[in-house]
Amino acid sequence: MKCKRCRKTEAAVDLPSHNSAFCPECFFLFFRRQVEEGIRKFRLLSAGDRVLVCVSGGKDSLVLWDILMELGYRTEGLHIDLGIDGYSDRSREKVLAYAAARGKEPIVVDLRSEGVPIPEAAKSARKEECAVCGTVKRYFFNRVAAEGGFTAVATGHNLDDEAARLLGNLLHWDEDHLSRQHPLLPEVEGGLVRKVKPLWRVSEMETAAYGFLKGIDYVTEECPMSEDATSLVYKEALSLIEEKMPGTRRKFYQGFLKNRDKNRDVLENSAPGVCVTCGAPTYAAVCSFCRLKERVTKTRGRS
Amino acid sequence: MIRVRMPQKKRELEVPGPRRVADILAAAGVRPTMVIVTRGKQLLTKDQRVEDGETIDILSVVSGG
Repeated sequence: MKCKRCRKTEAAVDLPSHNSAFCPECFFLFFRRQVEEGIRKFRLLSAGDRVLVCVSGGKDSLVLWDILMELGYRTEGLHIDLGIDGYSDRSREKVLAYAAARGKEPIVVDLRSEGVPIPEAAKSARKEECAVCGTVKRYFFNRVAAEGGFTAVATGHNLDDEAARLLGNLLHWDEDHLSRQHPLLPEVEGGLVRKVKPLWRVSEMETAAYGFLKGIDYVTEECPMSEDATSLVYKEALSLIEEKMPGTRRKFYQGFLKNRDKNRDVLENSAPGVCVTCGAPTYAAVCSFCRLKERVTKTRGRS
Repeated sequence: MIRVRMPQKKRELEVPGPRRVADILAAAGVRPTMVIVTRGKQLLTKDQRVEDGETIDILSVVSGG
């Protein structure tokens, strides 16, 4: 199959959802345009931003950092070492190697040093590891960004992640989560830094293909804590539909974004309070991170 | 035979060649939208033909959590 853009070179990436196939060079152009359009559409970033890019060591976050640098944004990487034996060490190594090759030194937060390694925190809280991991990561993303004077926090969530999350939120009619699901969560007075997802238009397969063709050395193994993650069930279901009806996943998520903007003022008018324990912005009296940390401390005290 | 490696699943199989990538994925029971297929440093499309004696890797692109 020839590249459908240049019509000269053999295609390396076929994209049934776009009814297209590209050679590596044309695919880079396609990918870059998708990310640029994603940023432009919701004004996720501007040239003056200082962007904190959250990098796990996986394909999405390293590709995100790579393309934001290529697009000329001022970026720094933030890696959170989750404290998962073996896996976290290998992930950290990938991030440090990627950054070093580009003359960067990422900020590293080690959850063991912070007293909340994910396996122990999940056990103490009696919650799923992925839920606890999300709480802890969001806390540090915002804290590091606020303390470091960053104007935006960027994460590598892609179209598949967002479509799967949307499906989950809809299946459970989780209105609170639905109201907050968007590639842009604006800065909120009181300490919440703007959060953006510049890869929201590109699929997981496209991100992986981009990373592979660019020679980005990312962690290919799955997080051992995520084996039973519900998001994987939603992704599998959407994949089945996507294979039969290419482009459905994109229409599903983009259709949601188009309609949910009607309710956007609900989100933009809700300002957080301040956590009585640590002072971080929160919609509760004590933020979810401090509640989690207290549980870990109590559990340690009992054992 | 074509050697098919799936490093994340720690699984490996052999299928007779030549065969299209799409057919190899079906034989391996893998959803085409959830993987990329590589031959050395080359990325393969689903219609490409793999010859006897060649080795390919099927890499999952799905991350959970």
